[in-house]
Amino acid sequence: MRKKKTILFGTLYSLAVLVFVLFALGPILWSFIMSITPQTELVGNTTRLMPVSPTFDNYRKLLSNVDQQGELFRNGMLNSLKAAVVSLIIGIPISVLCAYPMSRLKFRGSGFVRNILLFTMAIPVFATIIPLYRMYANMDLLDNLVALIMVYITSFLPLSVWLLISYFDTLPKELEEAAYVDGCSQFRTMLSIIMPVSYPIIFADTLIVFLTTWNQFQIPLILAPSKMTKPIAVVVSEFVTKSSVDYGLMNAGGILAIIPPAIIAIIFRKFLMKGIVGGATKG
Amino acid sequence: MKRKLTPYIMLAPGTILMLVLVFYPILRTFLYSLQRMKLTEPGNTKFIGLQNYIMIFKDPDFWYALSNSAVILVSVVLFTAVVGMLIALLLNVDTKIKGVLMAVAIIPWSLPPIVNGVMWRWIFHPSYGLMNRVLINLYVISEPVQWLSERWSVILIVALVVAWRCIPFCSIVILSAMQSIPTQVYESACIDGSNNFQTFKRITLPLLMPSLGIVLTSTSITAINVFDEIVSLSGYGDVSKTLMLQAYLKTFSFLDYGLGSAMTYIIMVVAGVLGLIYIRNVYKEVDYI
Repeated sequence: MRKKKTILFGTLYSLAVLVFVLFALGPILWSFIMSITPQTELVGNTTRLMPVSPTFDNYRKLLSNVDQQGELFRNGMLNSLKAAVVSLIIGIPISVLCAYPMSRLKFRGSGFVRNILLFTMAIPVFATIIPLYRMYANMDLLDNLVALIMVYITSFLPLSVWLLISYFDTLPKELEEAAYVDGCSQFRTMLSIIMPVSYPIIFADTLIVFLTTWNQFQIPLILAPSKMTKPIAVVVSEFVTKSSVDYGLMNAGGILAIIPPAIIAIIFRKFLMKGIVGGATKG
Repeated sequence: MKRKLTPYIMLAPGTILMLVLVFYPILRTFLYSLQRMKLTEPGNTKFIGLQNYIMIFKDPDFWYALSNSAVILVSVVLFTAVVGMLIALLLNVDTKIKGVLMAVAIIPWSLPPIVNGVMWRWIFHPSYGLMNRVLINLYVISEPVQWLSERWSVILIVALVVAWRCIPFCSIVILSAMQSIPTQVYESACIDGSNNFQTFKRITLPLLMPSLGIVLTSTSITAINVFDEIVSLSGYGDVSKTLMLQAYLKTFSFLDYGLGSAMTYIIMVVAGVLGLIYIRNVYKEVDYI
């Protein structure tokens, strides 16, 4: 009886795992198959599922110097990478500086600031983008990478700060007391007492910020129209919306664009999960 | 004295950035929404009160986009809640492949939404899509189905793709909530003679409610702001137009900043209400006893 039950459970479990994996990875796998299918086989409109003679030509086109689309693509990848790195360098210290006093220091208006912070998470980027566009156009800041990154930072700052706060809140109060008795300033205490015990959450935050910056689309679509600053997300979308009929190339572009975030997700899943859970709770 | 000032000094960089790039523009957007402001008629800018809003409410296009947005919102939340919960249960099973499954689960959440749309487009593309090929091979259909040109079919596909990236978030938060329920609770339920299903319904589910509340409000905020997936699945301004897409087109294609700003404000009010619910949920505490 018991054995029968385990076999039944085992079968159901394997079936559920199969459906789940197909649902989660199916679109990626299919897109990859299309990217290695030669154009002639694609437009042949077959009902076949696998290509007869797979080719990596599309990837070669995007990564080598022969094609104009390749240049556009590589520029996009580079722009996204630059934007992500600069966002981290500026954004993470600002997040920590905001989160620390909101969690560990007493000051007038801290409750109010916390609520405003949570509320700003609900504000759509679009509510700010029209005046920002005019402002940037007037000041000649469209296509300026640093100006663009400043907008990215404001878009992830509330979440990033909240994530850190919910972790700082769980640390015992006694941690800092000794330092204060020794006459350390609040800033010194933050650097030498709180930072060292908080590296896992700061790392998780760093990863999440990298991902959100890499994935930006709406903001750069409006604020970064030239190919000098256009990130990969916008380039890939143009492969789709602008006349191109090279479906294989389109898919190859998509696949290459998801490699950095996918690798981060796979390697650092434990940190990301910590970040996801921390950001969604009071702490 | 210095100790009192330090918190404010630390908060300053973030606050200044938010003031200049978020709060000030939000006020400006509101002012724009009260003006006739078309870039096509630069000389003709003036204060017109609520007329942009009135114009929007009289426009059938707005109601069309609103119903699209509403259906997307409800479907995304439903998909995310049901599938997210099922996947959380799956990930909660203790097996050797747990780590691998976790990696698989988190991938969709990490990818650029615009590329998600591109990839899913090739599942539902009428001639090259996987769905039609499989269905034709299985003799379920004989002619390719035009998944992406029927209004409700695109809308549901958009909802599916948005849910695809929200589900991991839901599963992970639910999973961690499940694992934080003390085992004693289950033991006492078992002693009282409760079966698996009863235990899930009477104990697990109610204890998960607060987390589910947070997840679903944050999912609905995502769903009301959907933009990327629609652009990559069906382009700009098709049958699948939503409020957000409408606001974008009015502003940056028709260059009517006044009308676009008013539409944005309408979306923001909806998102703001959801935001208030979110704050309330976050501050709720869970008690296990």
